[in-house]
Amino acid sequence: MKLTTKAVLLVGALALAACTNAGRFDNADSVNLNDQPGSGAGGAPGFDDPSSPAYFQQAIGDRVLFAVDQHTLSAEARATLDAQANWLAQNPDYSAVIEGHADEQGTREYNLALGGRRANAVYEYLISKGVSASRLKFVTYGKERPIEICSEEACYAKNRRAVTVIAGSVTS
Amino acid sequence: MHIGHYISGAGHVGLIGWLLLGPLFNSEPLPFEVTNVSMVTEEEYAALVAAEQSPNATDTAAQPPAPDVTEEAPPPAPREETPPPETAQPAETVPAPAPEDAPEPAEDAPPVVAQPEDTPPPAPAPPGQEDVAVILPETSARPQPRPAPRVAPEPVAPSEPDVQVDEQVQPEITPDESATEETPQDPQEATAPEEAATEIVTEAEEPSGAPERSMRPRVRPRAPAPPLATETAETPEPSEDTNPTASAVEDALAEALGGGTEPSAAPSGPPLSAGEKDALRVAVQGCWVVDVGSPSASVTVVVAMQMEQSGKVTPGSLRMVSSEGGDATAARVAFEAARRAILRCQKDGYNLPIDKYDQWQEIEMTFNPERMRIR
Amino acid sequence: MMERVKTFFAAMVAALGLIFAAVGAASAAPLRIEITEGVIEPVPFAVPGFVAESTGAEEWGARLAQVVADDLTGTGLFRQIPASAFISRPTSFAAPVQYADWKAINAQALIMGAVAVADNGRLTVKFRIYDVFSGQELGKGLQFQGTTDGWRRMAHKVADAVYSRITGETGYFDSRVVFVSETGPKDDRKKRLAIMDYDGANVQYLTDSQSIVLAPRFSPTGDRVLYTSYATGFPRIHVLDVGSAQSRILESQSGTMSFAPRFAPDGRTVVFSLTQGSNTDIYSMDIGSGGAQRLTNTPGIETAPSYSPDGSRVVFESDRSGSQQLYVMPAGGGEATRISFGQGRYATPVWSPRGDLIAFTKQTKGRFHIGVMRTDGSEERLLTASFLDEGPTWAPNGRVIMFTRETQGASGQASLYSVDVSGRNLKRVRTPGGASDPSWGPLQ
Repeated sequence: MKLTTKAVLLVGALALAACTNAGRFDNADSVNLNDQPGSGAGGAPGFDDPSSPAYFQQAIGDRVLFAVDQHTLSAEARATLDAQANWLAQNPDYSAVIEGHADEQGTREYNLALGGRRANAVYEYLISKGVSASRLKFVTYGKERPIEICSEEACYAKNRRAVTVIAGSVTS
Repeated sequence: MHIGHYISGAGHVGLIGWLLLGPLFNSEPLPFEVTNVSMVTEEEYAALVAAEQSPNATDTAAQPPAPDVTEEAPPPAPREETPPPETAQPAETVPAPAPEDAPEPAEDAPPVVAQPEDTPPPAPAPPGQEDVAVILPETSARPQPRPAPRVAPEPVAPSEPDVQVDEQVQPEITPDESATEETPQDPQEATAPEEAATEIVTEAEEPSGAPERSMRPRVRPRAPAPPLATETAETPEPSEDTNPTASAVEDALAEALGGGTEPSAAPSGPPLSAGEKDALRVAVQGCWVVDVGSPSASVTVVVAMQMEQSGKVTPGSLRMVSSEGGDATAARVAFEAARRAILRCQKDGYNLPIDKYDQWQEIEMTFNPERMRIR
Repeated sequence: MMERVKTFFAAMVAALGLIFAAVGAASAAPLRIEITEGVIEPVPFAVPGFVAESTGAEEWGARLAQVVADDLTGTGLFRQIPASAFISRPTSFAAPVQYADWKAINAQALIMGAVAVADNGRLTVKFRIYDVFSGQELGKGLQFQGTTDGWRRMAHKVADAVYSRITGETGYFDSRVVFVSETGPKDDRKKRLAIMDYDGANVQYLTDSQSIVLAPRFSPTGDRVLYTSYATGFPRIHVLDVGSAQSRILESQSGTMSFAPRFAPDGRTVVFSLTQGSNTDIYSMDIGSGGAQRLTNTPGIETAPSYSPDGSRVVFESDRSGSQQLYVMPAGGGEATRISFGQGRYATPVWSPRGDLIAFTKQTKGRFHIGVMRTDGSEERLLTASFLDEGPTWAPNGRVIMFTRETQGASGQASLYSVDVSGRNLKRVRTPGGASDPSWGPLQ
C-alpha cells in the first residue's frame, strides 16, 4: 500500500516536473518567512505560478491545525499534507522547514515541546509520503509566534498549527 | 524593680563619670565592622551576616553605647579582605553628649502622645470569642474575609478615611474637655483599629466562608482542684473560676494528703479569674505580630517576667525561659517578637487586679503560633 | 504503718507551709498565660534620613534612607512611619537614642544611619538598628564603603542587615534578576535578555532583539546566565558571561532542539530538555567537557528540570501519566516519584533555596496559579491566580517568589510580579516595558 502510494506519487511528480517552467528560480531564491496568508497575496510574485512558494502557501495550504494539547493529524490535515507532499515532489529543488506552534494557554517550556511534537508529526507524515528527510527540517516556536492575538478559542484554534515554510532551493 | 534602679544608677554614674573624664581619654572608634562594598564577596558577606547574629549581640547595648566605648577595642576588620586604606579609617569618634541628653531609663519615659486616662481596657473576650474557628461558622453564608494587609483574631472593617490607625479605639478628645487636666493634652484625633481580616486571603483563594477545619477544643483554664466529692463531677463547670472557698493553705494540705500533684503554690491572694486572665491574654495578643512565612513561626517560646504593681513589666526582667521547634536564630526572633508584644501593649500597665498582685507578680507567657502558621 | 506515713506527710506539709509562709508571696507560682492568636501585620519602623557627616553628603543621606525604607516596606513585613510623624530628628549619629520619642509614634524598629563622602568620591555608610520598645540595640553597628555609583547597593546592604536582624533570615535586597524584556505587539514581539536590581533599578540589556530569547537562568554565583536562543534558527542553549555579555552555544547536536536549562548548585553541571523527533527528555551535561547524560527515557514530554539545593535530586514536569505532573528523581537519573496529584496540570517546578518547598505553575479550570508544595507533594498552597501566571523563581532566601503574569486579549502584556511565600504582598515589579521569565540571582 505504502509502496503503491509512493510509486503513484513519484510518477505523478515526474509527469508534472516535465512541464514545469524552467525559469521559476528567477525570484524565488529568497522567501520572506514572515509572510502571512493573505498579506500581500495579490502582489506576491508567481502566485499564479503553481511551482512558486506563494502558490504553495496559498493554493496548496501551508498549514495544518491541531486540537487542544494534541499533535495527531486530522483527516483534513492529512489531505493538506498530501497536497504538500505532492507539491514538494513536483518541486524537488525546494526544501522546507516545518514550524510547530502552540496557543498561549500553556507554560512556555511545555509549549515548546508540544510545538515540537506537532512539527514532528507533519515532518514524519511528509516523509511517509515520499519527501526526502534531507529536504525537511522542523522547529518549534512554542507560544512565541502567534498569528492571531485575541485570547479566545477562535484565535487559539488558528495558533495551534504547524506551518510548512518553503525555504529556498536546496541547490542554490 | 531594685535591679532596675541599680542598673539605672550605675548607668548614670558611669555616664556622668565619663562625661567628666571622657575628654582625658583618647577617643577610640565605635565598634564597627568595616566592609568595602565593592570588594566584598558573597562568602565574606555571608560570614559577616552570620557573625552579626551571634546570640549575645543584642544584649550588649541596653544603654546608648557611648560610656563603654573607650574600653572596647574595635573588632577586627573582616577577614581575608585585603585592607585598602579606606577600610582602615577609624569610624566616627564619639562626641560627648550634652548632659540633658543623659538617657532616661527607657521604660520610665512618658510617651509624649498621651493616652486618654479613661481608655477602657480591652474587654475580656467571652470564652472562645478570640478563636478564628468560632467566627467562621457564623459566616457560613456571607461575610467572607477580604484581603487586608493585617490579619488579626477579630476582623475590623476598613476605617473612615481620615481616622488614624491606632491600637485602641479612642474617642476624639476636644481641647476644652481636657482643659481641667493638669498635663496639657494634645487634641487627639479619633482613631480606629486598623482594618483587618481574620485569615490570610491570597489572591488564589476565594474563601468559601465555611470552616475548612473544625475548631480545636480549647484548653480550659485549669480549674481549682476539684473537691473529692464525686457527685459534683457531673455538674457542668462554671465558665468562670469560682473563688476557692477554703483557704489556700487548706487546699494545699488537702491536695497533698489526697495525693495531689501540685503541692507548690500557696499564694496569699485568690487566683485570677478566667476573665482576668483572658483580659491579659487579649491585651497581649493584639500586639503579637507573627510572621507566618518565617521559620520563627514554628517556634513556641515561653517568656518570663516580673511585674510591678502598676501592671508594668519590671524593666530588664523579661527573659526567655524555653523555646521549642526551631534553631537558635528562629528562637531569638520568636522571643524578640514576644518581647515586643509584651512591652508594646503594656502602655501604662496591664489591667490586673491589684488585690491579687501576689498571683501575677511573676508571669510566664507561652507564645504558641501553631494555629497561625500557614498550612 | 499507714499511720506513720500519714504523720510523715502531715509533718512535711506543715514544714512546707512554714517555708512558704517564711518566703512569702515571692515563691508563688508564676501566673501562666498561653497566647495562641496574634496579628499578621507589618512592623512599623522609622528610618530618619542618614546624618551627613561631611559636606555634600546630605543628598546621599536622604536617598540612602529612602532605598532602605523602600526595601523594607516592599517585603510587606514592615511599614515605614512617615518622617512627618517624627517627634525628634537625630542630628548626630552618636547621640543617645531618645527611645521615648520613637515609642510614642509606635516605631518598633529604628534605623539610624550616617553617611560621609570623601574627596575621592567614596561613600562611607554606617548604621545601627534599635529595638525601640526594649530599648536595645539589635546587633552591632555596621559600616560599608564604596563608590557613589554603587550607592543603591550600599542601601540594599543596610536593608539586608536590618531585615536579617529582625527576621532572623538572610535578606535578598542586594540581588539581581535576569529576565526577558519584551516590546511590540503580541504577534511581533521583540525579546531581549536584560538584567536589573531586584527592585527594577539599573536595567541593562545583555542581547539585542534579533532573535527570540527565552527563560534565562542565573548560575549559583550570578556570574553566568543560561538561556535559550533562536540565533541559529532553532532553539539552542547558550551560556552568557554577565561581566562581558559574551555568549556561546552550549549544546549543539544537529537535528535536535534544546531548552529549559538550569545550573546545578555546583555551577558546572547543566540540566535541560532535548527534543529529538517527537520526544522531549531531560539530560544533564558537564559544562566544561560537553559530555551529556540522559536522565529520563519515556515517550512523553519531560521538561523544566530543577535541582534540589544539595544537588542530589531533580524535580521536573512530565506528561507520562497523560497530563503534566511533577516528579522527583535522583540527579543521576533513575526512578522518578510523582509528587503532584491535585486537579489540573502542574508545570515549571522550582526547588526553593531553603530546600523545603517546590514552587510551580498550576493550570486548572482555565486559570493559572503560582503555588508551593512540600518536596513530597504535601501541603499544596496556591498563592496567585490570573489569566496567565507562570515561571516562578525564588528569592535567594526562599521567602519571596517572582513570576511572569500576562494579561488577556489582543493587547496582552507580560510583566513581573512577586509574592510572599505566605501568599501575601502580591505586587508588580517595576520594569521599563514588558517583561517575562525572571530568574532571581544570589545575594551579592
